[in-house]
Amino acid sequence: MRLGTDPEVEKFRAEFAAFVDEHQPTAEEARERSQSSSDVPEWARTWQRTLFDAGWLLPGNPPEYGGRNATLEQVLAHQEELSRRRIYHSFNPQGIGIIAASILTFGTDEQKKKWAVPILRAEMTASLGMSEPGAGSDLAGLRTRATLDGDHFVVNGQKVWTSGAHDADVLLTFVRTDPDAPKHKGISVLLIRTDTEGVARRPFPSMTGLDDIDFNEVFFTDVRVPKENLIGELNKGWAVAHGSLGHERTMLWISYAERLDDLIRDAPSDADWFATLQMDVQALRLLGYEQLSGGQNPAEISVLKLFGSEAVQQAHWHALDEQGQAGLVHPARTAPGNHMNNDVFGASWWERYARSFTGTIAGGTSEVHRNIIAERILGLPR
Amino acid sequence: MEFEFDEDQRLLQQAVRETLAKTAGLPEEELWATYLALGWLEAPPVELAIVLEELGYVADPTPFLATATWFAPLAGRLPSGSGTAVFDGAGRFVLDADRADEIALLTADGVVVVSGADVTAERVATFDTRLHVAHVTAGGVDATPLAAGVPDLALMGLAATTVGACRRILDLVVAHVKQREQFGVPIGSFQAVKHKAADMYVAIARARVLAYFSALTIAEDDPRRARAALMAKAAAGECQQVVQRNGAQLFGAMGFTWESELHTYLKRAMAGNLLLGPASVHRKSLLNMEVAAL
Repeated sequence: MRLGTDPEVEKFRAEFAAFVDEHQPTAEEARERSQSSSDVPEWARTWQRTLFDAGWLLPGNPPEYGGRNATLEQVLAHQEELSRRRIYHSFNPQGIGIIAASILTFGTDEQKKKWAVPILRAEMTASLGMSEPGAGSDLAGLRTRATLDGDHFVVNGQKVWTSGAHDADVLLTFVRTDPDAPKHKGISVLLIRTDTEGVARRPFPSMTGLDDIDFNEVFFTDVRVPKENLIGELNKGWAVAHGSLGHERTMLWISYAERLDDLIRDAPSDADWFATLQMDVQALRLLGYEQLSGGQNPAEISVLKLFGSEAVQQAHWHALDEQGQAGLVHPARTAPGNHMNNDVFGASWWERYARSFTGTIAGGTSEVHRNIIAERILGLPR
Repeated sequence: MEFEFDEDQRLLQQAVRETLAKTAGLPEEELWATYLALGWLEAPPVELAIVLEELGYVADPTPFLATATWFAPLAGRLPSGSGTAVFDGAGRFVLDADRADEIALLTADGVVVVSGADVTAERVATFDTRLHVAHVTAGGVDATPLAAGVPDLALMGLAATTVGACRRILDLVVAHVKQREQFGVPIGSFQAVKHKAADMYVAIARARVLAYFSALTIAEDDPRRARAALMAKAAAGECQQVVQRNGAQLFGAMGFTWESELHTYLKRAMAGNLLLGPASVHRKSLLNMEVAAL
């Protein structure tokens, strides 16, 4: 155990900071706002490409995939620098964080070139088709079918909660390819272009407002998907789900720490909850650092997810509550405008609180993570 | 920053656990002699936190905590024998004052060390019958106006001890709910039980990292040490609240008996929260400090 900074990491941080200072778009250039998690305005595409080409998009990746083979500590410094400047990492977050990451882990070289690189360079946007009306926490219960017909899969079924699908070029879609196998063993993963015949997307608004259109229902009717769009092995989709979500979850705590940091800046208070907030963000970072050092039970990620998302929710409740009647106002701005950031992080106090439920529901509900902690860490019977 | 134990620290933790597993139930004097022989009192802050967490795990009956984290930081040395300190400005609820060989007094003129025999200390009856707490009332004390100023190490020490006691409670509870059957199944298979246990685990994880961060900032005399110590003490108290509530609940009627050992650790954890002020007091102090980044 030691405090203090690693000179190599600080050099790396300074280099990235200088790059951002030089290349970051101006407020004037970045006027157009993103409308969904797969809607990336032209300026943001150019910016993401600039980061990719310089190896600053995902520094832990090799150069051909937008990185520079950085260490975990350096990747963390990169995240911290983005967070400190309130720069949203990507306006297609699931595209780079889950879909491209899955293709890079499980795809063929050709798939990496054809799909992962364009997604990372924001030439193509991607959404994630996992949840279904009957498959949320129980993802393995998914029923969208894909049957092989010559050199195509034929897909039929429905996804829901597919963020940004109406703006996405491709969907990473989890489908059942072996209906007779045990439910975890008959799943495969297909990349489906949204302009394929038989794909219908129906976006619907969230509780935060009729103009907040991100969620979609996606219907597949006899959709023919080329065989070569299979990501990973046939019927081994569960491994992809674990791998890609696992990757995402490893770093998820950072986004919770960012939201807590936002509140420390946006809602200073001398009430008791503000002390809890400071302790929560400190403890979350320490747990995150501890986890990055590795060697722990992988289920410890559930501790970070559960603790981080619930701390964010609780703090946002207090921030809203402290407003009293003024907390009724919506829409509203509660943080200084920052053209590089996602606008929702500075939305009304009510909206910020309402959005905290995406943390405790998406990516495994808090209840699922409590089960994981109880069963896989404490060893309680299933 | 590296926030994991190095090899030596891991070995120390293992050694302390093995020692305490073997010495369980020995008389206080023998325990004390063992700790002295192993050099635990000389441990630097992070290593001391490792020892204290394990001593909390066994609800240690010796004056180790007061000697290492109350007397030592005030006097700037270890006592001959055991020690404690008066730093609350009043001499109330002083850990081990009734049995300490030396007592460090924080006064308006600085620190004065007196022999335990020179003060009158009246032991207070508390719910934790293995804990020694006393009011220091007279003798050498009245010559000096006492001052208030709690060392960071004392807050960290209570925090680490409390985390250890909470860990023990969780271990006991987990063992109980795995073995106790109702409705034909172990009660640990019920989600209502699992979720309470998971919340205990998370509360302990949060308090544990803040206790060790406090120890680390003391070890390196980092400017964040005062903040870190307040956070550690507050988090340990909050952890105690969750662990007591869920732990006592999950243990059911058995946990309410004197016969079950659960109460030993519930009491030690509760005392750890109350001594030197509960979580709410330290949260309040925290609000008076500048917000600082990790």
